[in-house]
Amino acid sequence: MIIWQFSEQAYHPAFQVPGAMRVTLPQHHCEPNEAGRLLNRYLDEYMLADELGLNIMVNEHHAAATCMSTSCMTTLAILARQTSKARLLALGIPLANRSNPLRVAEEIAMVDALSGGRLEVGLVKGAAYELFMSNRQPTGFMDRFWEAHDLILAALSNQGDNFSWEGEYFHYRTASLWPRPIQQPHPPIWMTASSAGSARGYGKLGYTCATFLSGAVARSVFTGYREAYAETHGRQPGLDRLAYLALVACASDRPTAFRRAEAMKSYFTTAARLDPQYRNPWGFNPIEANVRMLQAGSSAMRPRMRNGKPLPVDGTIEEYMDAGLMFVGTPDDVYEQLARFNEETGGFGNLLMMGQAGELDHADTTDNLTLVGREVAPRLAELTEVPLDIRYEAVG
Amino acid sequence: MATDALEELDFGTMSMLDVLGTKIELFTAGDGPSLLFLHGIDGIEGSAALLRELSRDFTVHAPSHPGFGSSDLPKSLNRVDDLGYFYLDLIDVLELDRPVIVGTSFGGWVAAEIATKASERISRLILAAPFGLRTADRREQHVADIFMLSRQELNIRLNRQEPPLSALPEDRLRRAMRNDEALSLYGWTPYMHNPKLADRLHRIACPTLIAWGENDAIIGPAYRAAYAAALPGADVAVIEAAGHRLHADRPEALSASITAFAGRQQDRIQA
Repeated sequence: MIIWQFSEQAYHPAFQVPGAMRVTLPQHHCEPNEAGRLLNRYLDEYMLADELGLNIMVNEHHAAATCMSTSCMTTLAILARQTSKARLLALGIPLANRSNPLRVAEEIAMVDALSGGRLEVGLVKGAAYELFMSNRQPTGFMDRFWEAHDLILAALSNQGDNFSWEGEYFHYRTASLWPRPIQQPHPPIWMTASSAGSARGYGKLGYTCATFLSGAVARSVFTGYREAYAETHGRQPGLDRLAYLALVACASDRPTAFRRAEAMKSYFTTAARLDPQYRNPWGFNPIEANVRMLQAGSSAMRPRMRNGKPLPVDGTIEEYMDAGLMFVGTPDDVYEQLARFNEETGGFGNLLMMGQAGELDHADTTDNLTLVGREVAPRLAELTEVPLDIRYEAVG
Repeated sequence: MATDALEELDFGTMSMLDVLGTKIELFTAGDGPSLLFLHGIDGIEGSAALLRELSRDFTVHAPSHPGFGSSDLPKSLNRVDDLGYFYLDLIDVLELDRPVIVGTSFGGWVAAEIATKASERISRLILAAPFGLRTADRREQHVADIFMLSRQELNIRLNRQEPPLSALPEDRLRRAMRNDEALSLYGWTPYMHNPKLADRLHRIACPTLIAWGENDAIIGPAYRAAYAAALPGADVAVIEAAGHRLHADRPEALSASITAFAGRQQDRIQA
């Protein structure tokens, strides 16, 4: 298992403002010099991750105090030059929210060239509430996603003449990437899944499949992926095709680790602060998905603890650990918790680690990353494949 | 897709109508001259009280727009401009001879689109709280953005008592989700309007009545004035003690206005 350092790069001073943290939060609560200081700090932490031999993951959100990275590619363009070894993962680019997919392909190619071919590209659906900022049409979202995907991959991998594109949603007279990407036919593609059904689709395509903060559901996501991959490609996928995202708070002693975890927990409590009408814009989800969701009730989508109960948003650190969303303790503790979770989910090769989250400060983040990099990562790298019988028993 | 029984529409018949391959749900009730009713953001079920009133004087044909209720949503229809042509086809299929057309809210926009294309096919046009014209001027909003409102706030503004969605029976929930999706398809952006409509309204030559609810909490005064200015020959009626859903708030009053307007013996000369 390899590790990818990830931070949402929050403007955490705004967490004290009452009410929503997304969409409606007025921008005057942002003190831009403080924002600049924080952004530089997070970049420093990414550079430390590179020095420690960790990889790097960046995301983006819009109109949110919880995430100041408003463009994966802008952040990665900086890191492409300022890091030397780390793989650089954009997870991800919210494709159907972008009006210009050819521009997306250009940015991918440029960052891949800048980084010497270290870029990995997550193409994601994106959060529903961001439709209010992109103002793209909520209906037909996934059709638009796949057309943009097809166009971007065609542009990245094109070895022949320039081409024109007259699709249902996108129209270009000529597609020509200068520079074109170093990695051919294209940088590795990642997608995200929260159910076995969507993971199956990615298994067929052979893309790397990540699941975020899903706890026990990760088992079924990975199983769905493996089955579809094996059916399509005639062999089992490598562990490098599967990824899990969680928070890690590591320290030399448990009290310090738990204090760090508490500082990071505001990631969860602030992420949930959003007025309800923005959660599910009309026309965004398929009709039947909406029907099932409304019938199941709001707690149905929450991760579960081992006792089967939904994890409360303001749960304790122990409850977050129990559900598999946080790994907390000394390097030994964190390794043991991750090794157990790895076995329970049937095995995955990528830990997308929020080594900074919420209000965790620079000194704590530095120590957290250093301990993980020096004492946990080498042992995780030695984790062997989970035997098939255990893998399938876990799914049960 | 099958039509579900809607108990509030028990005074007529529900059927499926094939319009050049698109199957739509059609409610029919009453006797008298033909009236094509085009529902608003609340679906045909939301207009039941008005339809009951209108069915006393008219043969009412009330379809669910493509994508609403249990009507098909073909990929080729994604603009209200498309619905304008769709309903001209429907008028042919039903062999309606110069029907009265009544549209409320979103349906008022649909009715205006039909009329800009072929107003000679319409005997009287009634637009009740119609969308369709520009809803804002840069930062100044003249029409509330319903997609930005919580369901609770929207229900207050629509003067609508609605159980929580999760409490609805499955068929009702599915209808509600289809209605939301279709409204988003046609009205998300440009928000609830066709930028071309204002410059086409002059083509409407049939007698036209614009009716507003006095207390419409969705559509503001500047927008109402713009509609009146774009249709200078139209009558304007304001229904007291009614909001955006004047068809539900004051069905008798709106029906009386429609009947009086449609019942006039002679077409008025447009100013």
